[in-house]
Amino acid sequence: MSISAFFGSFAGMYVAQSFCHSIIASVIMDQTLRAWKIDDPLVRQRFRLTVVLFPIFSYPLYQAINPDRGSVLFRLDALFDITRWLNMELWGVVPFGLLFLCLLAITSLIFLFQEMVPILKHTLESKTMEHEGTRREPDPFIENASRALSIDKPEVFVVEDDDLLIFSTTGRNPVIFVSTGLTVTLTQDEMQAALAHELAHIARSRRPLLLAAFFLRMILFFNPVALIEFRRVVRNEEKICDDIAVSLTHRPDALAEALKKFYPCRETPEPEELQKPLFAPIPLEEYSHNLQLDGRINRLGSGSPSSAGGRWFYLIMAFLIVAAVNYFVV
Amino acid sequence: MKAKAYGLFYLLLTVAAVLIVLKTLHWLPTILQKDMLRKFDSIEEVRAKLNIRDVYVPSYFPENIVWPPSEILAQAKPYPAVLIIFHAVKTRDAALVISQAASDAFSADSLIPFVQVTRTVSYDLKNRKALLEVGMCGNAEPCSRLSWTENNYRIRLAMKAPPFELIRIAESMFR
Repeated sequence: MSISAFFGSFAGMYVAQSFCHSIIASVIMDQTLRAWKIDDPLVRQRFRLTVVLFPIFSYPLYQAINPDRGSVLFRLDALFDITRWLNMELWGVVPFGLLFLCLLAITSLIFLFQEMVPILKHTLESKTMEHEGTRREPDPFIENASRALSIDKPEVFVVEDDDLLIFSTTGRNPVIFVSTGLTVTLTQDEMQAALAHELAHIARSRRPLLLAAFFLRMILFFNPVALIEFRRVVRNEEKICDDIAVSLTHRPDALAEALKKFYPCRETPEPEELQKPLFAPIPLEEYSHNLQLDGRINRLGSGSPSSAGGRWFYLIMAFLIVAAVNYFVV
Repeated sequence: MKAKAYGLFYLLLTVAAVLIVLKTLHWLPTILQKDMLRKFDSIEEVRAKLNIRDVYVPSYFPENIVWPPSEILAQAKPYPAVLIIFHAVKTRDAALVISQAASDAFSADSLIPFVQVTRTVSYDLKNRKALLEVGMCGNAEPCSRLSWTENNYRIRLAMKAPPFELIRIAESMFR
């Protein structure tokens, strides 16, 4: 099957149009958030989820509404027809469609190795740790916080590890795992803030919207925009859990201090290291990790978290604009 | 209130910018690559500019069809294809659509959409094996469609009329 024949098929049109639809959705949703300065992570997450989920259904939905949408005349007068670009040839040799397929292949590999494999690894590791860790003594803070969040009190296990680790498993019997390195490093207030953050994750997992979104998002495993947007959704989830943690502890400073300790050691460089060029020593993953922590710490430092207001009006308006524009993008 | 109005203004500007960028990106390939699907003024222009020698045009037209064609679309890449649309004298709607394409992906059936196909028969079109479909378009209007393969091209004729006229038109393409 030639490249142009593939992009003329249903699968090819789905791939190409969902890519275009997600770029347009991302731009319009982003600008809507900026236009009304929407900072609430819960509301921002709804916008991001729309960008992730809408392109999954947009193409088949539009075709069901108007089968003529795929016709030659509709494409000719469309707002944008991606097949024009995909059929173009770079220097008369390399079709753009081939470059586009390469981009999709790279995205698929990133999805596989940075999302699927770590998730499977994490699931397996947490099962192993369950047998390795020692149960932490009952903590009245956990009990009170669990009651406040209307969840069953989870068990807390301490795992022998010098690294700073804290994570939770969700499901029927949620468990929080804390490393010995973390218990030594964090003060009591910081530890409570960190535990409150994990409790927030457990409470949020009772409404498995994110999980459902992830399974749906897997359909667009090839789509780089969906990949980036889903990561933004996950980052928003961290901020939402930060806000819940602060509502439980009333100590944003303690959570901020705890987060600062999660910076990799190179965060405080040696004096001679300061002389090195800025771009040289920090690996991309570490830079991204630090950037995320920075964002969360700054939020916690900038005062009380904003209230989770509805803002449905803005979301619906932005969605209608996205749906209307994308109808003419084929 | 002022902030909300400013927000709306900002969003409208963004949408306008998105529309302009999309339309520009839509138009740009036709400048960069001349043999993509676009409109032409005449069949001769298609033959000359796209170097498509075999453009099949009938020599017979019923009186209710407007000549010259109201629209001619053609491309040389990714595969050669020509679409000729004729309007009806009275309604000025598409009444006859002739397409020829070197790929089955090229479809113009939606220009004369069948609501119901009542009969599909094999038809001997001057020693060519053609497929004749007879049915109804909207408003219970009789419609017919004829298709066959000719020198690597799939040729399709669709018309808002009973099949007799369509067959005459198709046969006149080989005189």
